[in-house]
Amino acid sequence: MPKMPKVKNYTFLFYLIFFVVFLLSMTSAYGANATDTKVGFKKCIECHPKIQQEMSQKRRHEPFKKYQCSSCHNPHTSKHEYLVRDEIGTLCKSCHKGKKRSFDKKYSHPPFEEGECLKCHSPHSSKNPKLLTARGEQLCFGCHADKEMFSKKNEHDPARKGNCLGCHSHHTSDYEELVEKSPERICVTCHTVTEKSHLNYPVQGADCMSCHNPHGSNRSKLIKKNSHKPFAGKKCTKCHNPAGSADPLGMKSKGISVCTTCHPSVKEDFRKINTHVGEGVFCTNCHSPHASDGAHLKKAKEKKICTACHQDTKKRLKDKNNKYKHPLVMEGKCTVCHRPHGSDIELLFRTDEISACVDCHKKHVSFTHPVGKSTIDPRSNGEITCSTCHNLMGSPNDFALRFDHKKQLCIQCHKGY
Amino acid sequence: MYRKINFVILFLSFFLIIPATAPDAGKVRVKHLTSITGNKETGRFNLLGGVFFDENKKRLYFTDTTNSRILAFDADFKYVSEFTAGGALSSPTSIVKNSKGKFFVAEPAKGKILAIDIGEKSVKPIDFSAVSGANPVYAGNMAVDSEDRLYIVDKANQRILLFDSDLKFEREIPVEGSRRLMDVKVDRAGRIYALNTIDGSICVYNSKGNLLLRFGTRGTDKDEFNFPTSLAIDRKGLIYVTDQHKNKVLVFNNNGRFLFAFSQLGWREGRLHRPSFIYINNSGQIFIVDRANTRISVFE
Repeated sequence: MPKMPKVKNYTFLFYLIFFVVFLLSMTSAYGANATDTKVGFKKCIECHPKIQQEMSQKRRHEPFKKYQCSSCHNPHTSKHEYLVRDEIGTLCKSCHKGKKRSFDKKYSHPPFEEGECLKCHSPHSSKNPKLLTARGEQLCFGCHADKEMFSKKNEHDPARKGNCLGCHSHHTSDYEELVEKSPERICVTCHTVTEKSHLNYPVQGADCMSCHNPHGSNRSKLIKKNSHKPFAGKKCTKCHNPAGSADPLGMKSKGISVCTTCHPSVKEDFRKINTHVGEGVFCTNCHSPHASDGAHLKKAKEKKICTACHQDTKKRLKDKNNKYKHPLVMEGKCTVCHRPHGSDIELLFRTDEISACVDCHKKHVSFTHPVGKSTIDPRSNGEITCSTCHNLMGSPNDFALRFDHKKQLCIQCHKGY
Repeated sequence: MYRKINFVILFLSFFLIIPATAPDAGKVRVKHLTSITGNKETGRFNLLGGVFFDENKKRLYFTDTTNSRILAFDADFKYVSEFTAGGALSSPTSIVKNSKGKFFVAEPAKGKILAIDIGEKSVKPIDFSAVSGANPVYAGNMAVDSEDRLYIVDKANQRILLFDSDLKFEREIPVEGSRRLMDVKVDRAGRIYALNTIDGSICVYNSKGNLLLRFGTRGTDKDEFNFPTSLAIDRKGLIYVTDQHKNKVLVFNNNGRFLFAFSQLGWREGRLHRPSFIYINNSGQIFIVDRANTRISVFE
């Protein structure tokens, strides 16, 4: 009998092994899904009896319903709480990938962005749709509990009824404040905007939130709390062209001269080494020209305005590992230390860094490590300041120190110890 | 037969795998050369502004903004002198020099660019009267090309102003669709590079001001910017960008493809803390204003 070529022998052997391994793995996987899970689940409820109650809920998470505890939990060990296999956000998104692009929009709901799915959803079961931990507005108000915002004399109907999803998206949106449509389109879904009610100015297509609070206001027509003087006096032509002109919404003068004509002192604020100078009427990057609920007609809360550009600070603030942050940073009071328009001092500090800190930390002066012009950081030959050792925007170490003060901090410079 | 297959695999490995690693092997290696810090001779540095290297005189100049002076160092980074223009300097930030030896120094707090001619002992502001715009000019960083044309970042109007060698306003290049124009550089071929901080973009224009390339975004990935502050182009056309929050320098090829990054947050030499400006000379030396460390870090 002639011998078969050697190569064919190997090929046959390879396919045989592959087939057997494939068959075995399929059989074992099927077995695991069909019967072992129930056995496994029984084992789980021996120690976790409350889980059984959750099983009686009407709406159950699909793997939970199928007794597949181990699809999310590792029965032996895990570095995550509740022995889950991965960080919650990553774990959820491994199955809930979202429809195309729906998870990949410009603005995200912070819990969604931070992978805190369990802030809104229950992992096992719930009596509410989508396994939500509470129903409708109760869920939203759990975090958005700003009573002042929702207890105004005049309330917007959807806000009063708790129909948050009437305007907002829950996970992501292409628009700020997670609104479903662009600011120009969202209001006209229900309202008709007329020139007559806007002093004959053609405001159709404008951002209604520039003047109106979409939740509620103590002023009529839901106008925001603080008004720009010309707006309050209905003197639109202080800044804009007349209503009947060819370009009624156009400005009367160019660039920031629209603002500095009445606010001349601001000009000086921008004649500094470090400034927030920008293009066009750049004052409106931070201020509302019509009405605002904030002081100084700020467009939004300070933290939101600043972190819109200063993303590193935003990231540090959100980082769960950064347990220690300066209280003012947490409260979003950036302008206590920084000048919002301009400063000759680095990072737009109001005064030199040490004075800015000592202003509040008066006791610290008596026991601090030497700082100031006469002390030199041996690593860089630069002056030692408070931020040489502290990172106020967020640090995992006590006192917002850059390094652990028990192990690493001092030896950064004091090498001999 | 198997020997033949093995040989073919080995042969393919040699020609496919080895070249695939070649860019890494031939990667531009950046190493720290020295750091220029304040000392008894120079006095302590304060807030540092811009850097310029004079290829003719082989001198390094940089502005010590809040000390109102310009410092000069030789090619071996030895201190030469300081210059205050007879007290005319207030808060000098960006600095460049043309081939005729004339310095241009930005004084944004005064809304001026000073043209300093040391030979003639004259300090004159550049005339902006021919420049129109929505806002008064707020001069940022500057660059000079091989024909002594001066390019000025106008932060208040998101554009680059172009002055000819006689300092006559020639034209403007609007940097549209971007926010917070921060830096400008010109390469040997006359291409103009503009860096925008807030949207983390780099726009490349030809000498006529037509947009050739736009790349870059803000984000946390290794090829994204966190807070880009300055850019420079080397002889090979590679684009180096300092990132103040990443505390790194990101390097891209001339098509905007990310190649590598170097340095990291730190206080020791070779590391960076809030780098704010970058300049590369013809010898390939990279000068970085390491602002929070109050020094000029030199790499090559």
